[in-house]
Amino acid sequence: MSKHKTNRLKTTKLIGPMVDKHWADLRTAKKRGEMVAWCSGPMFIFPYAMGMKCHFMAGYAAYAGGRGAADDLLKIAESEGDMLDTCSYHKAHMGMAMAIKKGIPVREDVLLPMPDLLITGRLCTEMSHYAEGLYRRMDINVIGIDTPPPLNESLVPGLEKYCEDQVRGSLIPRIEEICGKSFDYDRLIEIMAILKETCILRNECWEYFKKIPSPWTLWDYGVSIAPVFYMMGSPDAVPYYTQLRDELAERAEKGIGAIEPEKYRVYWDGWLPWGFLGQFSRKMTDLGIVPLVGRYPWEFFPHPETIDLNGDPIKEFVKQVYSNGGLAKQNLPNMSLPSIQKWVKEYSLDGVIMFSSKSCRMWNLGHPDFIKAIEKKHNIPGVVIEGDMVDSRMNSFGQIDTRLEALAEMMAARKK
Amino acid sequence: MDKKPIEQCMEISTNPYDYLKKWKIDNNKKIISCFAMNIPEEIVFASGMIPVISWRSDEPVTMGHSHLATFNCGLTRSFIDDLVKEKLDFIDGIAVNRMCLQAQGLPFLLEQATKMPYIEYLSLPALYDDNVSYNYLIEEFKRFQTGLEKVSGNTVTDDTLNNAIDIYNKNRGLLSEIYELRRKNPGIIKGKEMLAVVHSSMIMAKDINNTLLEKVVEELNNRKQTLSKDERIKVITYGGLCQTVNSEILNIIEDLGMVIVDDDIFVGSKYFANPVEKNGNPYEALGNRYMKKTPPCPTKGDYRTDWTDYIIEMAEKNNAKGIISLMIKYCPPHMCYYPDIKNKLAAKGIPEILVEVEHEIISFEQVKTRLQTFVEILQGV
Amino acid sequence: MNNIKYFAGIDIGSLFSKVVIIDENSNIKAYSILQSGAVYKGAAETAMNNTLAKAELSMGDMSYIISTGYGRARVPFADSQVTEISCHGRGANFVFPEVRTIIDIGGQDSKVIEVNKEGKAVKFAMNDKCAAGTGRFLEVMAVSLGVDLSEMSTLAEKSRTDVEISSMCTVFAESEVISLFAQGTEKADIALGVYRSIARRVTGLFGQVGKKERVAMTGGVAKSKGMVEALEKSIKTTLMVPEEPQIMGALGAALIAREKFMQA
Repeated sequence: MSKHKTNRLKTTKLIGPMVDKHWADLRTAKKRGEMVAWCSGPMFIFPYAMGMKCHFMAGYAAYAGGRGAADDLLKIAESEGDMLDTCSYHKAHMGMAMAIKKGIPVREDVLLPMPDLLITGRLCTEMSHYAEGLYRRMDINVIGIDTPPPLNESLVPGLEKYCEDQVRGSLIPRIEEICGKSFDYDRLIEIMAILKETCILRNECWEYFKKIPSPWTLWDYGVSIAPVFYMMGSPDAVPYYTQLRDELAERAEKGIGAIEPEKYRVYWDGWLPWGFLGQFSRKMTDLGIVPLVGRYPWEFFPHPETIDLNGDPIKEFVKQVYSNGGLAKQNLPNMSLPSIQKWVKEYSLDGVIMFSSKSCRMWNLGHPDFIKAIEKKHNIPGVVIEGDMVDSRMNSFGQIDTRLEALAEMMAARKK
Repeated sequence: MDKKPIEQCMEISTNPYDYLKKWKIDNNKKIISCFAMNIPEEIVFASGMIPVISWRSDEPVTMGHSHLATFNCGLTRSFIDDLVKEKLDFIDGIAVNRMCLQAQGLPFLLEQATKMPYIEYLSLPALYDDNVSYNYLIEEFKRFQTGLEKVSGNTVTDDTLNNAIDIYNKNRGLLSEIYELRRKNPGIIKGKEMLAVVHSSMIMAKDINNTLLEKVVEELNNRKQTLSKDERIKVITYGGLCQTVNSEILNIIEDLGMVIVDDDIFVGSKYFANPVEKNGNPYEALGNRYMKKTPPCPTKGDYRTDWTDYIIEMAEKNNAKGIISLMIKYCPPHMCYYPDIKNKLAAKGIPEILVEVEHEIISFEQVKTRLQTFVEILQGV
Repeated sequence: MNNIKYFAGIDIGSLFSKVVIIDENSNIKAYSILQSGAVYKGAAETAMNNTLAKAELSMGDMSYIISTGYGRARVPFADSQVTEISCHGRGANFVFPEVRTIIDIGGQDSKVIEVNKEGKAVKFAMNDKCAAGTGRFLEVMAVSLGVDLSEMSTLAEKSRTDVEISSMCTVFAESEVISLFAQGTEKADIALGVYRSIARRVTGLFGQVGKKERVAMTGGVAKSKGMVEALEKSIKTTLMVPEEPQIMGALGAALIAREKFMQA
């Protein structure tokens, strides 16, 4: 019987220190007299343009989960009255805020200073609640930007205009007021230029998911999201993705796969299980399953080539969220299902995994119907796995392992 | 013999299916289900169709779970369940407002699970920036109108819209009157009856409901008080977003010696708050109503207005001794707000108890124990 | 003959029925702990008669009887009913006047109660949604481990490695235990893991009420040394445990009965 092996990428080893440094900088920013903004949704590009240090809501929760500190934060939030069922990302932040407010001992590396500004990009409605909760508890400046996802193409122009109006009418004036200076459009364009270049490189990397065997996994990409999102504009972004692309190219030429043997290629829906990547990765590798595509990690600026650096930067950025984008545009299940159906063929997928986080109600709605639709069109099986992105109490590996094994059996049966 | 008005409300609220099926045959008007809060119903009414607030059935969800998980809100699950079981075939379309993630994902489920001929998805704005939100809101209203006109075949004019506003305002006035009657004489109407009265307004065509509510006012004026005022503990309830609370919980509250004197729940004062202030432009008037910051609705993103302050004010106004949080499972807008409400009330020494309301209530014993303990705390046992 | 007054508290729980009879000076005259069985009405009468016999008294000697627990509505000879939250508060406070927070882990729920110096409940938090963190969880786990409930504490003492039982659900935790076995995990480690799992769940409730010293533990599960230790570690305090933690509810009920009678 062949041994199951993971061939770890060299480049992804760079991301840990990079991300650690990002959060470390944030921890010490106020002491250095720098201004700090917390954001949910992609709006951090605006405080970045103003030279602020930025936190990103989901990024922080993933970071805390990955470092094994999420459970403590959730406990603190729950001792303050939060329900078990409330979004883990929300609770992680409430927990952190109360740890700071009440001096409850928590790992230092997950404590961040209270920001000068909180921008909520209401793409997921919980993002609004998280800002509201922090405002109530910590009395911080809040700017709300409502970014509803479109149900169909015809709604895109109207929503894009709404977003743009809010950025111009509300965000820019207030951020100027808070920072005490005019908005730096030049810096905004600079950041977008770096973002464009990084994402073009990233898209080249995505192409390698088509290779059989795939030289990298969705987890590899998942940990590499920071440079194309909440660390956008960082001088490390382009070098990182250049190196990654080159390493993938080399592997592809030599036919080296990320896992050996690669038996089944799958689509992963929902959040990545940030607190449990190791466990999932090991189990899936043992079964020969490699995750390659997911609509959530693939929502970050999938069309960077459309960014016109000579155009109005606010318009261009908002377009990357809406008409030329993934974030808002592809958010609703009926907008993303056609893409997923295409990906099945493009990336030679054998099955789909719908990861249903029990504390999240965004990605889950539609999971059973996704499986049905994909199976009907492509005759590949799917499975729903219930868990949580960071809350260990909601991940019962006895059950999860059974479902993964069942999926492998179903995929094996169809391949015969 | 004609049933008494409140009894009629209870019948309609308990079995909206039969009522609407029959009503549709008799009146030959289209029915648009509205999911669930803050939708400008007047526009639907003005287009010649009848808006009906999507309701939760009393059946446990079965087939609906093939489309969504058990940890989604009861209303969404029940609604999908009803649709899949073809119990709502008399509905001609659905308008969904993006209040929360469940509502956000609902249109996809509707497309997958039903052959609904008309699905409208409104992203009514969060109240972050009054100017920008308002302008966008009016655009959404106009877009809604265009879609409705296509379905109904009728044009919405300023006149028809103003007329609809008048009818709706009358309805709000009547419900306000009924609520004021209860404030003055707590216990004159049982909790489950009040729920049914408000719910009847959500089910019936508003002009017809107005006639019924006028009779309800009359019936209440004729009712005599049966309990001595001093014994009952006055409480207010709040929460209960989007859907009816299981009325058994209200019965338990009253059986334990409490009386609900006021509420801030959706099938309650939230629904009829703020009459539309007409100013010549009906869209502006409807828009202004939506933009109001009170009663605070946690789905509107208005972080500046404190829901707890509103609840405290209501409790003080009514001399309520305690506050009952009716939390629908799984309602993130309420769940995320809850710790702040709980802690602020505790800091002010206002007794509060949480009752989680599930669609499929497994056992009322737990609810009884909690509420009885609450009473014991209030009584200093 | 001395016309001494007597009062009774009867706590009908899901697993056990407890009765305490006290005199007018609040001295415990007698008590009983019996298995409830399915018929609550019968259980109440049996437990009452049993205790009366021990006390050498008759029903007519009782001046006031209060019932509590989930079966409290089905005790026909009770004069009134009070919830076990109020009763555990009073009972624990009677035994430990300095107690301000009480953790009660019963057969099918767990609760944390804050009391004032008179033992009256001021606030509380309950897990009444599922079996996790309750006596039932402990029972199911004991069966999975193939040990008697009374042996679990001793078993857990032998633990040398920390094992996590992460699932919140009793049924799922059972399959977790089975898979831990399959991986060769030591029974002792699993046993301690079970206690820690309950402690975690209860600590969450505890946090909601807030720690006010001194803290006491009541309910049948308090008899389990391993559970007490796991909880003490988790909430970082020393717990006061009465000699008979299981009768605190019934005792509290009897004390309230006495008070109600005296105030009438």
